[in-house]
Amino acid sequence: MVKTIMIVDDEPDIRSSVKTILEKEGYKVVSATNADDALKKLATIKPNLILLDIMMPGTPVREAVPKMKGVKIAYLSVVRTSEAEKEELTKSKNIVGFIQKPFEIKTLIQNVKKLVG
Amino acid sequence: MGVKKILDSNQAVLLIVPSTDYNKVMIDTLKELSGESICYVTLNKTYDGFVETCKKNKIKMDKIGFIDAISKSFKKSPTDSENVYYISSPGALTELSLVIGKFLEHDFKYFVFDSITNLGIYHKQDICSKFSSSLVNKIKGKQTKAVFYAIGSRDDSLVKQVGMFVDEVVDYNKSGKKE
Repeated sequence: MVKTIMIVDDEPDIRSSVKTILEKEGYKVVSATNADDALKKLATIKPNLILLDIMMPGTPVREAVPKMKGVKIAYLSVVRTSEAEKEELTKSKNIVGFIQKPFEIKTLIQNVKKLVG
Repeated sequence: MGVKKILDSNQAVLLIVPSTDYNKVMIDTLKELSGESICYVTLNKTYDGFVETCKKNKIKMDKIGFIDAISKSFKKSPTDSENVYYISSPGALTELSLVIGKFLEHDFKYFVFDSITNLGIYHKQDICSKFSSSLVNKIKGKQTKAVFYAIGSRDDSLVKQVGMFVDEVVDYNKSGKKE
């Protein structure tokens, strides 16, 4: 069965490149422009993984994540944090990964495969 | 030629750095400037992340004043420290401008803005351009020397615009060498 990935990022370039890369790997990819858009779409779609940009306009990610129950989430972050902050950010049980931007195509594919198969 | 040397004859420089080299250039520049007083404004790393990087690279932080526009967006209680001021969000440009103005009153030897590119994530280009222009003008009225980072290439239209406000543009693209 085809796995669905939701990419949530306010940067159109990131959304389109992630979509192209992951579709080439056989995943179905759904895009959302921010956390609010993602929450709206999650009412009808249940992705296997959400790739969630950590800093976007609209509802802050730390407020949106608790509402994204039952879905695995990997953060995408352009912000460089300390190791302790990274641990703090990923302590919710549905946060399964942290991908630092900019990332290489290979790294993205490896991470997604590791997280959803 | 090192950044410090470039700043000897210029008051404001724009460093255009490819994303792959950004970390190295940022650390090397900070090493070069540390020892003197620095006002460091960040839109891409948290204060804690910055402290960690400095410790790892043995960079002295005692003369660095830090303006962190990021941490408050995703942390409820950022680390309290006397050398850091937290802006409520990278979107709060008026607050950022006022705080920078206050910091600049302390006559820092260097001012680092990291980065124009990250500012562009949160604001439209014309707003970023006006903000940068006003910032450069503010610095020109002081003795402080300024470094602005742009991550990516000089083809970016915001980078091109900001390049017109500064005295010198240094491009690290093409094999990590300055052009």
